[in-house]
Amino acid sequence: MAAWSGVVRWRRPWVFWAILAVLGGFSGFLRADAGRHAISSFHASVEPLLRTYCFDCHGDGIAKGKVAFDGFASDAELVEQRDLWWRVLKNVRAGLMPAEDGPRLTAEERARLEHWIKYEALGLDPQDPDPGQLTLRRLNRVEYGATVRDLLGIEFDSEAEFPADDTGHGFDNLGEVLTTSPLLFEKYLQAAETIVDKAIPRFPTAPAQRVIPGREFQRPGGRSGSDLRVGSQAALTHRFQVSQNGRYAVVLDLGVRRSFDFDPARGKVRVSIDGVEQRQWAVAWSSPGTKVEAELDWTAGPHEVRVELNPEDSETPQDAGKGGVQPSREAAPTGVVQVPSSLKEPQAAVPATLPPPEGTYVDLRINTLQVTGPLDRAHWRPTKNYARFFTRPEPPTEPVERERYLREILRTLASRAFRRPVDEPTLDKLVGLAVAIASQPGRRLEDGFARAAMAVLASPRFVFRLEQPLEEEAGRQFPRVDEYALASRLSYFLWSSMPDRELTDLAARGDLRKQLPQQVQRLLNDERSKAFVRNFAGQWLQARDIQTVSINVRTILVQSGRRDADLKTAFDAAMRRSLRTETETYFEYVLRQDRSVLEFVDSDYAFVNARLAAHYGLPPVKGDELRRVTLPEGSPRGGVLTQGTVLAVTSNPTRTSPVKRGLFVLENFLGQPPPPPPANIPPLEDSAHSSGGRELTLREALAEHRANPLCSSCHARMDPIGFALEHFDAMGQWRERDARQAIDPSGQLVTGESFANIQELKRVITGARRLDFYRGLTEKMLTYAIGRGLTYQDVIAVDEIVARLESQQGRFSALLTGIIESAPFQKQRRPPPVQAGTLTLHLRAVSPP
Amino acid sequence: MNALPSVDSALRRRQRHLALDRRQFLRGLGACLTLPVFESALAPLARAAIATAAAGQPLGVTASGAPLRMAFVYFPNGALQRNWWPATPGAGFEFGPTMEPLAALRSAVQVVGGLDHKNAMAGNDGGGDHARANATFLTGMRARKTDSADIRAGISIDQVAAQHLGHLTRFSSLELSCDAVRKSGSCDTGYSCAYQYNISWRSPTTPMTPESNPRLVFERLFGSGGPEERQRNLALRQATQKSLLDFVLDDAKAVQRRLGAKDRDKLDEYLTSVRAIEQRIQRSESFGPLPVTSDPPPGGVPSDFGEHMDVMYEMLALAFETDSTRIATLLLAGDGANRAFPEIGIPEGHHYCSHHQGKADLMEKVGRIDRYYMQHFARFLEKLQGKKDIDGKSILHNSMIVYGCGNADGNRHTHENLPVLLAGHAGGSLQAGRFAQFSSQPMSNLFLSMTDRLGVSGLERFGDSTGRLAGI
Repeated sequence: MAAWSGVVRWRRPWVFWAILAVLGGFSGFLRADAGRHAISSFHASVEPLLRTYCFDCHGDGIAKGKVAFDGFASDAELVEQRDLWWRVLKNVRAGLMPAEDGPRLTAEERARLEHWIKYEALGLDPQDPDPGQLTLRRLNRVEYGATVRDLLGIEFDSEAEFPADDTGHGFDNLGEVLTTSPLLFEKYLQAAETIVDKAIPRFPTAPAQRVIPGREFQRPGGRSGSDLRVGSQAALTHRFQVSQNGRYAVVLDLGVRRSFDFDPARGKVRVSIDGVEQRQWAVAWSSPGTKVEAELDWTAGPHEVRVELNPEDSETPQDAGKGGVQPSREAAPTGVVQVPSSLKEPQAAVPATLPPPEGTYVDLRINTLQVTGPLDRAHWRPTKNYARFFTRPEPPTEPVERERYLREILRTLASRAFRRPVDEPTLDKLVGLAVAIASQPGRRLEDGFARAAMAVLASPRFVFRLEQPLEEEAGRQFPRVDEYALASRLSYFLWSSMPDRELTDLAARGDLRKQLPQQVQRLLNDERSKAFVRNFAGQWLQARDIQTVSINVRTILVQSGRRDADLKTAFDAAMRRSLRTETETYFEYVLRQDRSVLEFVDSDYAFVNARLAAHYGLPPVKGDELRRVTLPEGSPRGGVLTQGTVLAVTSNPTRTSPVKRGLFVLENFLGQPPPPPPANIPPLEDSAHSSGGRELTLREALAEHRANPLCSSCHARMDPIGFALEHFDAMGQWRERDARQAIDPSGQLVTGESFANIQELKRVITGARRLDFYRGLTEKMLTYAIGRGLTYQDVIAVDEIVARLESQQGRFSALLTGIIESAPFQKQRRPPPVQAGTLTLHLRAVSPP
Repeated sequence: MNALPSVDSALRRRQRHLALDRRQFLRGLGACLTLPVFESALAPLARAAIATAAAGQPLGVTASGAPLRMAFVYFPNGALQRNWWPATPGAGFEFGPTMEPLAALRSAVQVVGGLDHKNAMAGNDGGGDHARANATFLTGMRARKTDSADIRAGISIDQVAAQHLGHLTRFSSLELSCDAVRKSGSCDTGYSCAYQYNISWRSPTTPMTPESNPRLVFERLFGSGGPEERQRNLALRQATQKSLLDFVLDDAKAVQRRLGAKDRDKLDEYLTSVRAIEQRIQRSESFGPLPVTSDPPPGGVPSDFGEHMDVMYEMLALAFETDSTRIATLLLAGDGANRAFPEIGIPEGHHYCSHHQGKADLMEKVGRIDRYYMQHFARFLEKLQGKKDIDGKSILHNSMIVYGCGNADGNRHTHENLPVLLAGHAGGSLQAGRFAQFSSQPMSNLFLSMTDRLGVSGLERFGDSTGRLAGI
């Protein structure tokens, strides 16, 4: 490559540049010289090390792990194997290589090897580091929901309405992985309409309206509830006050919830207001939901809406076929329940002799009660959110003025939504769309604005995070991103949402970088930074999964010899919620108090409420609120590894998994995921035989497993860590024994450090293996922050952050600032100028000769 | 815990049958009183007939002119081999324990043995058999081993078919999944989760996101709101959407012009999606009014997994019955799923059990889980068999439905002799009611034999195909 480019460079420089540009920049060219230097320095300083320490397994005809340093055609080819060298760097740093049974590198040798790999083999340039290839990021559904909330001021349940996003490297915000399918775009279109209809008022003023959720209805005994079981006799009532005389509109929204299997129950629903029947109809398994609407003249004072359900004969075909809604507005206004004879016909299809299938049901559910009024214009009030979008109390009437007004308010909305000033051609199109709608007969200016707002939400400028380089650096190889892009990178990192006005204003003035530390602090102090805790910690520690992980409480309790515990509550939804909150609270504490990140591994405190204290066997505390407690001397708790979330999500439903737990720690704490298991896992039957029929303990079984050299290289790394956690069952509770066997938590890491129990293992990680943890956490958080998997080009950035952590005693702020100031976060690769070329060609082709 | 109580379940099934019969009766009644279900189905059929008559190649129809449907249902973690396979090949086969729930459907299903997905085998990629099992299942291709950068599987066979005959129906294809909640953290070693939660791929790099919420599927098929307002809601919505699409298309093109190569691909996904919806709206106008169903709209995702499967199958059945689409995929769970089945007395996770290492108790549990999945599939087939198509045959008769897994033996992660069932007669061109035993043929060959029946022309090869599967 080097020789070839040398020749071509002379004859056709533009071809050379074009090709290099296509290949993704100038690095390839710059490498030509660097490559020659790398080879000579390889011979001088690295080759002897390889011969001494590595060739026993990776040379002279041996290729353990399919790696042989002398297996390449030339030294030049060997030096160019960047992924290989990146792996060497990782393994040497983790202490995995040279393997423990051979001679170890001296500190000087190790430093020399690391230096050569970083600056020669990988060709990293600390003066102008490559920020890496970042792919255009689509908002994931969490970010979409948060952005809509901050842009328009309404809640949109994006997690219910959008399909789940795909993930990579354990995170759901990676540009490469977030694809767009027709289904998703269809959802975007629908969401745009739903959201805008909910968020943007079409009138400056409107009658007062209150929406009462169904759960605020009361049963006769006074208990609240929203559901009535069809087939039973029951009623729900809601009483409320109105303060003015006048005409009111009432809408009662009723839904039907049903089991999948048919249920023969049927009932009669009767809705009355202030004792006057409004409607009466039959309800059954196949009935759809319905709305009862009424307009009434009310005097100020108390009023009452009542929904009654009475049992009725089983469903007959006729009613069901019509959907079950039988309005009977003409029914007697008195409270007499009249049963039309047609409803009493004996059911034909379902013989009464068959017992009903188990677990089937039909429920009538009150979704909402909406009371609007007084309807008289004199009582109308300014609509909520009107001023958020419309700067004038009433839209102008004169056409030119209307268009100017639309342009003004659409510019504001679109620039906010796109997180950078909207360009004029785009604004023209938006205004055109708004005017087209607003000028239709019967439509208001607000309708036009709303339609354009839908277009804004469906635009790729909203859905994707488009970035630009700083104008003055646009010609550079690795320009910094402009301040609008930086504002978005910050806000989506720390808030999972769009930048607020202050960030955008600073970006507009070009002052954001000047105030970066203060702004980061402000973002962290804001309530929205809880999203960082939820989304980063929720995925890094998999705390999100605790609410759904399947755990068989009975089996776990029996194994731990705790038959006395209450099966129902030991690991119920409330417990799972507490556990998740515990992990989030803990993370948030370390973050907000700017503690050392090593406290994720070990600490002398924990956050518990009454149930968690009991769960963990800690001195009792009262109430549901989590509070910080200092742990007793020698407690195995402290840090996140021994929290219920991590312990449960790394278990199988019926038992712990030392392998999964070990893997979790290696992957998420030490940044050293073992290579994938061999594809064809050899069966364990053989090892079972050797036990002579006796059931092996997990430790024995895994020891057998490790006797197989194919398995041992990784299991020797995972299993000891997992066994150190064996005193914790799959719910995270302490146990002395596992199925009547004593537990031995002692072990040794492959790097040589031995430990007697989990307390000691934590101290090993926060002590001797501290840098591994710093690096592991940095890599995870950087991945999350920049939305892509890391490559060898990121080694410099990660090393700098790790050094910063080490020099600042592991403070959380050192990590955050380190990430935010790093090249991958601040810069971008200049996109290859492919488009300019094709555009020019295109123009030539169409222009007249 | 006991296995499924057989008497109860028989009663339950009988009850269910009655409920179904009743429903069908209602539907018949509905057809007399209101808009016939098949009125909407007839319009595209007529069109299809005309189109195919001209081309001489029947597209998406059976010999009798009824719609021909194709679906793929994926179950996870392979099958317990000894319970899956019938003992003797041919028409005289007897179901193994896993397929016993299909007894009543014997003449409508074909057990297909000897199909392989060699591209799901490890090769030089090492671990990750679950991710590969999913990614290769309908693509026949080797998935690129990556956690994020340059994801690439292959176009899936359902999408190939959709490109050819998607225009015949309101929806060119339907992608469903029962994986409503996703695990965080990494998926199968070194593979992005995209490989495990998608089986349908529109292009080698873009998966077709499946829908797991039955309420949203229903609303897509039949509109939102009460039965009487759905048509109007759809019309309003489409009018609004049309006014937005021009802007979005224009805007996306403008944005795309400024981007680098990689980002242009991302925008291309967006543009393609916009065009797909644009076409759908245009097409939907030509299909006349929305299909109607007397079935009530489902709620959200049921908490019970069995119920979730049932209701997603129900949506699929409704989609086929109303000819809303002829191509569908349903991913019951991503391969490697470790779901526990307390409802049938199995507290351990499925994946954990599937690595049974020959232990009798775990094997017994895997057998029960396989059977549980099969029971729900059988309910679905029964439902399709009970629905009458326009030619008087059943919908099942006019379908070809693959039920299978990209993992053969979950214990050993093999990808040869995959567990595959082919249900339906494809309108008479499939010889159901037997155990067809092949000797090591690519699964892709089966796919080509299916798309041939759909009238997809010009498809010489697909995935790792070596030819057609003769004599199915």
